[in-house]
Amino acid sequence: MISNIYKSMMLLALLVMMGAAQAATRNITLYITTGTVTVNGTGGASMSSWSFTDVPGIPKTPGLVVNATEGDLVNITVINNHNRAHNFMIQGVTTDTTAIAAGQSRVYSFTASTAGTYLYYDTLNNNINREMGMYGALVVAASNGVSTVWTNGPAFTFQRTWILSEMDKPRWNDVVAAGGTVNTSIYKPNYFLINGRGGFDGMHSADTTIEGSVGQTALVRIVNAGQFSHSLHFHGNHVQVLSINGVRRAAPFYEVDVISIPPLGTAEVLYYLNQPGSYPMHIHTAQMETSNGVYLNGVATMITMH
Amino acid sequence: MKIFKNTVLLGALLAAGCITSVVYAATINRTMGVRPYSKVMSDGATVQYWAYCNSGSAPSLPGPQVEVGVGDTLNLTLQLTGPTCMGGGTGGGGGMQEPAPYNGHTIHMHGADVPTSEDGVPETNGNLVNGDTYTFTPTANMAGSMMYHCHVHTVKHLEMGMYGALVVRPKDAGGNFLNQITTNAATAYDYVQTYVFSTVDPAYHTAIGDSPVFADYNPKYFMISGKEGKTTAAPAITLAAAKSKKVALRLMGIHSVNGTFTLKNASGVAQPFTIYTQDARSVPTPQTVTTLDIAPGQRFDIMFTTPSTTGTWYPQMLYKNIRDGGAFQTTYGKVTF
Repeated sequence: MISNIYKSMMLLALLVMMGAAQAATRNITLYITTGTVTVNGTGGASMSSWSFTDVPGIPKTPGLVVNATEGDLVNITVINNHNRAHNFMIQGVTTDTTAIAAGQSRVYSFTASTAGTYLYYDTLNNNINREMGMYGALVVAASNGVSTVWTNGPAFTFQRTWILSEMDKPRWNDVVAAGGTVNTSIYKPNYFLINGRGGFDGMHSADTTIEGSVGQTALVRIVNAGQFSHSLHFHGNHVQVLSINGVRRAAPFYEVDVISIPPLGTAEVLYYLNQPGSYPMHIHTAQMETSNGVYLNGVATMITMH
Repeated sequence: MKIFKNTVLLGALLAAGCITSVVYAATINRTMGVRPYSKVMSDGATVQYWAYCNSGSAPSLPGPQVEVGVGDTLNLTLQLTGPTCMGGGTGGGGGMQEPAPYNGHTIHMHGADVPTSEDGVPETNGNLVNGDTYTFTPTANMAGSMMYHCHVHTVKHLEMGMYGALVVRPKDAGGNFLNQITTNAATAYDYVQTYVFSTVDPAYHTAIGDSPVFADYNPKYFMISGKEGKTTAAPAITLAAAKSKKVALRLMGIHSVNGTFTLKNASGVAQPFTIYTQDARSVPTPQTVTTLDIAPGQRFDIMFTTPSTTGTWYPQMLYKNIRDGGAFQTTYGKVTF
């Protein structure tokens, strides 16, 4: 009995020490600003956008990927430098959807209690604020200091975060830019984005491509900030499905070559680099493979194994 | 070379006195072509397709089912010139292809995870777009439903009807196909049928190249295995089964919208069925459900047991839009027992 209490106290002390050694306070400032999203390549265009950026004056769509480690205290200050109201909510983490008036700011404090991948976005204005580019991701790493998706979870060699979205240039972005009223019942996006880019760039960008040596494992964190389902197809190998919408699966994991992420959905998948070569990852839904009808400039990236 | 190695192996096993069975790995050579295919739709409109065909046979929508056994080697050859299909002639011509850079056709074995050289993606491997051979040797864990389709300007070529079912089947020790979904005997079936889900936007059939038409998708026809099947009285596909038997359905999503599959009895009550594979991999634990969402590119192998009394069930797909899940149409199949 005494021995057990003693052991428990030792364990508790150990846990407190580990926590003290690793938990940090992270102070982040996000600025709401206007800008443009540019899709390069044939069929590309520049679209008026709004975004959460960590560098004042330099818009980013998607917004900053906020990184934290399980146990961290995170303070995010959102400064609204735009001339209309916005808000900031991290799905599954924060619940405050109070509007931040033009010129005002608001602080969101939380403990990053659970390792995982989260979508943040502006919930206001009937999807218009989100469509204009006001979204990003929070990535919470496991607290054990090694590359596992969660403590005692599957290990990975490197990771990517894919933020998926769409933009309807003529019916939404152009109308907003001209000060008009968007008819939100009609949404026919003609740009389909992975980390704010079409496939022309998405197939070559270090933050989207999966590139490594055979034997490595890539963790891909996927959030869908768009209003369409994104049905992603991997060539080269199947992926293991680790979590869906923040709900962790248990091993053995499902192995799939298609993962469909609904609007506001998230998933974490593991791609095992198993054979040399060059393989696409692309969406399997007609128009979403294109930018304004130009093939392969939609949601696409490359998997390169050496 | 392969035969020699097998013989040596067989000899070694026999010598060791431990042989109980020999699995015969077959080589399956198939040649396919592409031909124009014209179809009158339910509203009377005619839509032109490009459809795969077996060598010497007429094209079909979907293309002919290709089956390969676990451990077999499939050499799937796409031949676009010569007397490949009914009518002969030059398969690549006659409006059967787009101008460069989207000229020609390939076969991509969807879900087969083959090396780049066999993947049928012209952008990654320089696969010839005027005919090539694609090789695939599935392992035991791959038993289940895959698909094949053209990977040239996929946004159009898929829509044109260039798709079909690719099935990996388990084999017995004598090299015969087993009537079961996977190598697990619990997946044995009495009947099997393939449901290929596809959708049609007629505008995609006349547009070519990098057209703004391909920026938006407005499907008008919703098919199972190439037929519209808009009512239970006129189903797209039928199966005459017996009572108290196991029916396997291979569900293959080559459609470009969302869909929800259900199996309903004559009163419209959803019946349970069991999912054994997803994307040609055994699911960790078979799942018994009454509804199954099927997204573009996904496949599932499911099974159910027909009741002990005579009746009719209607496997069906509710096609839904990818924004809010609003219904387009339900397309029906039919199973009698």
